[in-house]
Amino acid sequence: MTHVIIGGGIAGTTAAEELRKRDPRAVITLVSQEQHPLYSRVLLPHYLKGKIPRERVFLKKESWYEEHGIEWLRGISVVALNARNNYVALSDGRELPYDRLLIATGGDVRMLDGDVRGVSYLRTLDDADHLDQLLGELPAGGRAGIYGGGFIACEYLNLFAHFGRPMTIAFRGPHFWSGTLESEVGEFLNAHLREQGVEVRPGERFLKTVGDKVLEGFATDAGTYPCGVLGIGIGIKLEDTWMREAGLKSGSGILCDEYLRTNLPDVYAAGDVAQYFDPRFGRHLCVGNWMNAQMQGRAVARNMAGEASPFSLVSSYATQALGLEIIAVGDTLRDHADEVRVIGSKEEGIGQHFLQEGKLIGAVLLGRNTDRAWVTKEIGERC
Amino acid sequence: MPKIRVKVDEDLCIGAASCVTIAPEAFQLNAENKAEVYDHAQAPDGPSYERWLEVTQEEKENILLAAESCPTLAIFIFDEEGKQLFPEL
Repeated sequence: MTHVIIGGGIAGTTAAEELRKRDPRAVITLVSQEQHPLYSRVLLPHYLKGKIPRERVFLKKESWYEEHGIEWLRGISVVALNARNNYVALSDGRELPYDRLLIATGGDVRMLDGDVRGVSYLRTLDDADHLDQLLGELPAGGRAGIYGGGFIACEYLNLFAHFGRPMTIAFRGPHFWSGTLESEVGEFLNAHLREQGVEVRPGERFLKTVGDKVLEGFATDAGTYPCGVLGIGIGIKLEDTWMREAGLKSGSGILCDEYLRTNLPDVYAAGDVAQYFDPRFGRHLCVGNWMNAQMQGRAVARNMAGEASPFSLVSSYATQALGLEIIAVGDTLRDHADEVRVIGSKEEGIGQHFLQEGKLIGAVLLGRNTDRAWVTKEIGERC
Repeated sequence: MPKIRVKVDEDLCIGAASCVTIAPEAFQLNAENKAEVYDHAQAPDGPSYERWLEVTQEEKENILLAAESCPTLAIFIFDEEGKQLFPEL
């Protein structure tokens, strides 16, 4: 059996490892756009804050791939998929035939037009190295800017605060996660950030960076804000040209069933790129977090090896914004719920419950960590 | 039965909860959203980030899998002689 895996992140690498465990003789090729062996993206903020040395972000050694008989093609991407004849064409001109193909390419970071030096994204280790350099060059008293209102924006808030930088954050919606948070909860978070000394600019559309060679600030449709470094966290997108040309069906990710099979024979998807059907929630979900990617990597390998192993997980995400703990569990899209209830108060922590047909399908908790165990249990017992 | 020492570095833990999902009898999140170590779902002598556990081979492997799944490598596992089993040095 010949397995080709596109994507060297946690989903792809976990799948390769699991496939090797199941079949010592399988031919396994891992095609990775990045040059680095597997590392933890989740550890990048720890590295930037100096909590751990850079070498501690790596989860595999360079020698691991060869030791496990996994052919590791690094710095290479896929340019075409021919699902009729079972092969992929690579950016170095090679063509790789497969019996089973896994697409685990993650998401592509949404970028702004016309970057100047000083603009940062935070997805890869190279991005983190770049930000480390920018922070080191920022003069004393230099301000930081953030555009975006999601999980990456939280990382920037915490990072810039760690280095004592005064900052401005702007985003398009009225508050963070406008598809998830009710206005009362969103305003609670805005107020928290303001109490921590952050200049918060909701409802502003990004126009451009200011400065020719070096970043001097950024402009929105409502104002101009000086900064020497600007962190962008406006989400990820599906880089789908070759996928579409191959006939893969996609929504916000590659559509697949609960076995992580796509609409094309022998082609699977896992991790952030997969929009998989979860019977528990009765819809296709795109979940962008570590645990989901890793668990899907393991499940998809079982399916590729010939077992029928459906995937289901009550996913959760935990972060914090300047000391306020934020946890999201299960399905937390307002549009998908029949009812959204705001719970708690400013004093005891605030949150939301998402209900469908009277049953809990998701929850968001701000400063209410102790609810996490029971809501996870209750959502998990739904099916 | 193998005896292992399991330790969570609370400074590295971010409450991603992969360990809790994989090995709930050994890890539970506390009010600070950090994983504490449990002995077969029990916490003798109160909550702790570190504990000696007597486990079956199967339980040991599952706890190792939980440690491997931690995105911040906050879980450390040692054998009876004090040798670090995970993360591999």
